[in-house]
Amino acid sequence: MKQKYILRGCVLMVLVLCTGRLFAADQCIACHAGVVGDKPSALFKHDIHFAKRISCADCHGGNPKAEEMEAAMNPKQGFKGVPKGDAISQVCARCHSDSTKMKTYGAALPTNQWGNLQTSAHGKLSTTGKEHIAQCITCHNAHGIVSVKNPASPVYPLNVVKTCSKCHANAAFMRTYNPSLPIDQAEKYRTSVHGALNAKGDPKPAVCSSCHGSHDIRTSKDAKSSVYPVNMPVTCSKCHSDAQYMAKYRIPTNQYDKFAKSVHGVALLRKHDVGAPSCNSCHGNHGATPPGVESVSKVCGTCHALNADLFSASPHKKAFDDRKLPECETCHSNHEIVTATDTLLGVAPEAVCSRCHQESQNPKGYAIAKTMRQLNDSLALSGSVATALVNEAEQKGMEVTEAKFKLRDARQAHLQMRTMVHAFNEDKFREVINKGMAAASFAKVEAKDAIDEYYFRRIGLGVSTLIITILSIALFLYIRRIEKKQV
Amino acid sequence: MMEKSEAQTSDSKRDFLKLILGGGFLAWIGAVLYPIAAYLKPPKQNEVEVSSVKVGLLKDIEKDSGQIVKFGNKPVILVRTAAGDVRAFSAVCTHLECTVTYRKDFGMIWCACHNGKYDLNGRNVSGPPPRPLDELRVTIQGEEVSIFKKS
Amino acid sequence: MKNTFKKIYAWVDERLELQDLIKFMAKKYVPVHSHSIWYYFGGVSLFLFIIQVVTGILLLMYYKGSEGLAFESIQFIMSKVAFGWLIRSVHSWTANLFILTAMIHMFSVYFEKAYRKPRELTWLSGMLMLFLLLGFGFTGYLLPWNELAFFATKVGTEISGAVPVIGKPIMEFMRGGDDVTGATLSRLFGFHVAVLPGIFTVLLGLHLLLVQRQGMSEPSHYTDQPERERKTMPFFPNFFLRDVLFWLVVLNLIAILAVFFPWELGVKADPFASAPAGIKPEWYFLFMFQTLKYIPAKVWFIDGEVLGILAFGLAGMLWMMVPFWDRKSSRGEQNRFINYIGLFVVMFIIVLTIVGWLA
Repeated sequence: MKQKYILRGCVLMVLVLCTGRLFAADQCIACHAGVVGDKPSALFKHDIHFAKRISCADCHGGNPKAEEMEAAMNPKQGFKGVPKGDAISQVCARCHSDSTKMKTYGAALPTNQWGNLQTSAHGKLSTTGKEHIAQCITCHNAHGIVSVKNPASPVYPLNVVKTCSKCHANAAFMRTYNPSLPIDQAEKYRTSVHGALNAKGDPKPAVCSSCHGSHDIRTSKDAKSSVYPVNMPVTCSKCHSDAQYMAKYRIPTNQYDKFAKSVHGVALLRKHDVGAPSCNSCHGNHGATPPGVESVSKVCGTCHALNADLFSASPHKKAFDDRKLPECETCHSNHEIVTATDTLLGVAPEAVCSRCHQESQNPKGYAIAKTMRQLNDSLALSGSVATALVNEAEQKGMEVTEAKFKLRDARQAHLQMRTMVHAFNEDKFREVINKGMAAASFAKVEAKDAIDEYYFRRIGLGVSTLIITILSIALFLYIRRIEKKQV
Repeated sequence: MMEKSEAQTSDSKRDFLKLILGGGFLAWIGAVLYPIAAYLKPPKQNEVEVSSVKVGLLKDIEKDSGQIVKFGNKPVILVRTAAGDVRAFSAVCTHLECTVTYRKDFGMIWCACHNGKYDLNGRNVSGPPPRPLDELRVTIQGEEVSIFKKS
Repeated sequence: MKNTFKKIYAWVDERLELQDLIKFMAKKYVPVHSHSIWYYFGGVSLFLFIIQVVTGILLLMYYKGSEGLAFESIQFIMSKVAFGWLIRSVHSWTANLFILTAMIHMFSVYFEKAYRKPRELTWLSGMLMLFLLLGFGFTGYLLPWNELAFFATKVGTEISGAVPVIGKPIMEFMRGGDDVTGATLSRLFGFHVAVLPGIFTVLLGLHLLLVQRQGMSEPSHYTDQPERERKTMPFFPNFFLRDVLFWLVVLNLIAILAVFFPWELGVKADPFASAPAGIKPEWYFLFMFQTLKYIPAKVWFIDGEVLGILAFGLAGMLWMMVPFWDRKSSRGEQNRFINYIGLFVVMFIIVLTIVGWLA
C-alpha cells in the first residue's frame, strides 16, 4: 500500500516538475485549508481561478512549494501578504490585461477591464486620497470569484443591484465622496418595472450596469457617459428597440424611432441640447415606469409649465379627467411629439379639436374651435403679409427698423397665442390675437410707407431727369443758334 | 415783307426757346433746392439713437418694480430690486425673443410666452431660456438714471 | 423788372468793372480740333468739386465724428433725415466720379503734352490736387466707421508703415496711435473736412487762375496746321454753355446712380472682430494694392513691400516732374517716348485694377 502511495507520489512529483506547479502540491491551500481552516482558502476552492489552477501565491507571492511557513511566506521569496489599495487591482490586471496570458488559460474574456476602470469615476476618484474608490474585488469579491453568468456571482444580473447598493445606499460612505449624491437609487429601482421583474428572478430587465456600464462607469455629467442626456436614448434603445429581446414583454419597440423624429428628439439628438428631455425626463431613471394618465400632465408641466397651468384651469381639465384621457398626450401624442403647428387647432380633418367636438354632437365647441382657428389664421396671415411687406421694403434698400420692431410684437403675439390656446377660452384668446393684429397692422403701414417712399424716389428722379433733359435740349438748341449766328 | 415775317418767327422762336431755358433753369433750381431744404429741416426724431438712454429720476422708479425702456430699436428692462439696486438687461428673451417683464409676485424677470424665468442678475433660472439676458450698464448721476451699452 | 436788373448790374459794374471781365472772357478762345473733348474734363471735375463741397457741408449738419456715434449718425442720415439717403449717396458717388474725371483730365493733359512750358505750374498744382483727392478718398472712406472701411484703413495705414525710417511715424501720425481706433476716426475726419479742403481750395484757385491767364493749351497737331485753318470758339458763351450742358448730364447721371444704387452702409466696425475675407481698398488704390501682392516677399535683400512702395513713390515723383525732364516736347519736338510711357502706365493701371477687382 505504502509503495503504491510512493509511486503515486512520484508520478505526482513528475507531474509537478513537468507542469511547474500543481494545486495538490500547493502548500498554501494545504496549510490554510487543512491546518488553519480560514475563510479565504475555503472560498477559493470554489473560485474559477482555483479551477484554472492559479495558486494563492500568484496573487499573494511567496513560495507555494515550501513546506515551512517561514520559507513559504518569506518576503525574500516574494511574499506580499494581502495586497492593499490600488495594488489589488494591479494584481488582477497582471493577467486580465494581458490577452496572451488569458489565452493560455483558455479564457476568451476581454482584457480592457483595468483600462476601463481607470477611466471610470470609480477608478479616477478617491475618497481617502490613498486609493481609488473601487478595486476589482469591490464588486467581484476576492476569493470565490465565479463567472458573471453564474447566479452566485455578485455581478450576476439578479445580484448587481445589491452589490452596487452596498456602497450607493450607504449614506455614511457616500458622504465621504459627495454629500449631495442621493442614496435611494436601489429603493427607487425596486418600484420600477425593471426592478419588479428583476425581483421576480428575471435576469433580462435592466440593472444598474445595463445603463451605467460596468468597468467604465462615468458620472452622468460626463459627456462620454452612457447616461449623459444625449446618450440616454441610445442606451435605453439597446434593449427597448430590440424586438427579439423585448418579445417576451409584449410592448412596442419603436419608441426610439418615434422619439428621434419628435421635437424633443431632434433637439436632443441632433442639436445636442441637453436641456431637451430624454427618456428618463418623463419616465424617471431609477424608478423607470411609464407615467400614468394622472401624472402625464405633471411630467410635461415641469417644462411646459404655463401650458399646464392654463390647461388645469380650463374647462377641458374636468372633461378629460371624466373620460380618463391623458391630458397632453391626447392631442400631442407621446414619443413622437412633433412641433405643434397651427393645424392642430380647429375643425379641419388634420386638427385635433374635432376629434371630440363634432358638429353634430357638440355644436358650441365646434363653433368655438372653428372661430379660434379663424382668429389664429387671420393673425398668421397679417403677420406674414406684414413680414412680406417689411422684407420687400428692406430689399428695396429702405430703412425699416421701426417696422421690424413692431413685427417682433406680432410674432410674440403668435407665440403667446399658441400658449394661450391651452386656456380654451375664446375671450382670452381674442385678447392676445388683437394685440398681435395691432402690431402687425402698424408694421404693415410702416412698410407700405417705406415702399411708397421707394417709388417716390423713382418718381422724383424721373421728374428731375425730365427737367434736366428738357433743359439740356434747350441749351443744346440755344448753343446751335448762337453758333449759327456767329457763322 | 418776307424778311420781316422771317424775323418775327425767329423772334418768337427765340422767345420760346428762352422761355424753356428760363423755365427749365428755374425748375432745375427747384429740383436741387427742394431736397436740400427738406434735408435741412430738423427730422422728427432729432437725435441719433445711440449707445445710452436717459431713463429718468431715481426717485420716480419704485422699489421692487420693472419697466420696459426703448433702447434704440430694442427693448430693455430696467429693474429696481426691493433692496433698491437698479439693473438693466436686454428685454429680449433668449428662448424665442419675446419681450420679458418684471413679475412682482415672483420677484423675477418673466417671459409670458413660455414661462421662462430669470433672476435679478439676468440668469436663466427656470423654463426654456438657454442663456442669461444680456446686461447693460446703469449709471446714476445725482438722481439721473441712464442706461449704457456694455462695451 | 428789366430796368431793375439793369440798375443792379450797373451798380455792381461801376464798382467791380464787370465789363472788363466780360471783355476778357469774350476775347478768350478755345481751340477746336479732333481732341477738343478732353477740354471738358477739367470743367466737369470743377463741377464735381462744387457738388462735393455742398453735399459735404450738408452731411456735416448731422454727422458725428466719434467712434460711438459715427456709424449710427450715418444710419440716422440715411433713414431719418429727409433726403439724407440722397445727399450721402450723391456724396459717395460723386467722390468716385470726381477721381475718375480728374484722372482722365490728368492723362489727357499728359498725352496732349499740355504741361509744356509755360504750363509747368498748372501741371504741378493739378498733380498735387490729384494726390489730395486720393487723400480725400482715403480719409472719407473710414468716416462711416463700418467694417469694410475699418479694415481697409487698417491695411492702408499698415502699408505706409512698411516704409523704412519714416514709415512708422507716418503710420502713427495717421492712426493717432498704434492702432486704428476712435482717435484715427477723429483725425481722418479733421483732415477730410478741414485740412484737405483748405489746401485743395488754394491749389484750385491757383490752377484756375493759371488756366485763365495762360489760356487753353494748343497741342502740336493743332499748331502744326496753317494759321487760317485753325478753328476756335469763344470761351464765353460757346464753350461755357457746352460745359454747362455736360455738367447737367453728369448731374443727372449721379442722381440716377444715387437712386438705383444707393451707397451701402454695411455693418458697424468691431475692432475686436476678425477681418472679413477679401478686404479690398477703393478702386483707385486697387492697382497699387494688387501690384504689392505680386512683388515677392524679398527682392535681393530688400523687403518686397518696401520696394513696391518706394517704386510707386519714385514713379509718382517722376510723373509729376515730367515737364522738367521732357525737354523735347517743350522745344516743340515730337517725343514718342512720353507717349509710350503714358500708354504703359494707363495699361498697367487698367489691367491691374481689373485683376484686383476680379481677385
